[in-house]
Amino acid sequence: MSKPAKAGDTARGSVPFEEALKKLEGIVDAMEADDLPLETLLARYEEGARLVKICQEKLAEAEVKIQQLEKTAAGELKLKPFETKEAV
Amino acid sequence: MSKSKSQWDFGELFPPKQTRKVLSVSELTGQIRALLEKQIGQIWVGGEVTNLRAQNSGHIYFTLKDASSQLSCVLFSREKVPHRELLADGQKVLLQGDVTVYEARGQYQLIVRAVELQGVGALQIAFEKLKLKLAAEGLFAAERKRPLPKYPQRIGMVTSPTGAAIRDVLHVVQRRNPGLEIILASCRVQGDGAAEEIAEAVKLLNRYNVELEKAARGDDSTIQPFNNSANLDLILVTRGGGSLEDLWAFNEEAVARAIFESGIPVVSAVGHEIDFTIADFVADFRAATPSAAAEIITEGVFACREFVGDAPELLQRAARRGLASAVESFSQLGDRLARLHPRRRLNDSLQRLDDLQTGLLRGLKSAARSRSLVFDNLSGRFFRAKPSLVFKARHETLRQLERRLNALGPEQVLARGYSITTDTASGKVLRDAAKVSAGQSLTTRLANGEIFSRVDR
Repeated sequence: MSKPAKAGDTARGSVPFEEALKKLEGIVDAMEADDLPLETLLARYEEGARLVKICQEKLAEAEVKIQQLEKTAAGELKLKPFETKEAV
Repeated sequence: MSKSKSQWDFGELFPPKQTRKVLSVSELTGQIRALLEKQIGQIWVGGEVTNLRAQNSGHIYFTLKDASSQLSCVLFSREKVPHRELLADGQKVLLQGDVTVYEARGQYQLIVRAVELQGVGALQIAFEKLKLKLAAEGLFAAERKRPLPKYPQRIGMVTSPTGAAIRDVLHVVQRRNPGLEIILASCRVQGDGAAEEIAEAVKLLNRYNVELEKAARGDDSTIQPFNNSANLDLILVTRGGGSLEDLWAFNEEAVARAIFESGIPVVSAVGHEIDFTIADFVADFRAATPSAAAEIITEGVFACREFVGDAPELLQRAARRGLASAVESFSQLGDRLARLHPRRRLNDSLQRLDDLQTGLLRGLKSAARSRSLVFDNLSGRFFRAKPSLVFKARHETLRQLERRLNALGPEQVLARGYSITTDTASGKVLRDAAKVSAGQSLTTRLANGEIFSRVDR
């Protein structure tokens, strides 16, 4: 199934977190509620396992990534690493 | 006595240059008043309010002082001065008024025409004015406020790089959603020019977001998307606690307009819980403090951690339940099939065979005259009752039964050498030698043929 890509999808190349999470919730609900036919059950299970992995990868990030945005003299935008002045 | 100069008559000691005029108090006072009103008239004067008394009449009397002088003032009730209730001892003010003399007391005074509060009071007035103005323009409208994304992955931040706010926010984010990416547009958060810097920072982040979208679409962009990530989900404008003057930049019109025009939703968290700034009113969402803002922003992802952790277990349990249910269905089908299975029918037939076998033996015992005929009859029926089945095993069982039956039949018995002796007359089978009398006629049936005999003894 295809959806119109929003800014960020194509750049990322993978499902955005919110979308993965919502799909996963939907799958768990469907599997717990319905009497699914066997083939659908197994297909959903596999899809669910895949989505869990995506979500867990994002949740496993351990370091806050913070960068500082600046305008150069030429008026261009530039990112540079941000040094916290004290240990976070 | 003639009127002559006395020795004490020295004539005019101080002859007046002109006619001396003696004024009454009122006249003098009136002159002083006229002089003051003409020479000074209406002025602006600044000082501190003290000794303020509001009369029942509504007129307010007070003294305006500075380090070395004081001035009596009166604010009449009819003067249209906004926020006259804010006049209080200690309040620094600028007054516009007419200098005159209250003749009855011989006291010069200022009749106040206009009041401008200085210090915090003035700030509060300015705050109220701007608030009304922007509200009328619709900057605070509830319909305009955009919902915050529930699982922000990337946010912009407008704050001082060295303040308490950024430190608090980073602590909370590290604890609840370290995966969050933050783009900081730093600025001063108090003092002259801070408002302009804050507004610039909000605009800068908006510009950056536009470039991100361009880059994601593959259009020409001036930037490389950092980490191939998506847009900014929201902007957090924040600073730590402080006095009204410290927070003042967030009450300025420039900041309000920049927030209003932001294409990205703005969360405002300025000062402490009790501080409300104009930025708070314009923003899409106000948090009481920087830490509270960070908690709210990370709430979605933080709350879903538990679900994502449980999800593998939930999926497995649901799958197992589904499979068990499928197996159960199969098993029920299996039962139904088994009931229809030919084997079942065969078992029924075997049971009938057993019954027939019993009946056959009984038949032999109560032997009729043409036993073999009866036997043939029964065995014929037996063979006719044999179920027409395909299974060889059943066929074999049937043959075995046939053989057993034959073994029980008289043919086999006779063939083994036994004979059946009957009373010739009645045909009754003889078992007991004592029941036989001498001279009785007997018929003995052998495997082959019969013997007729008479009993000797």
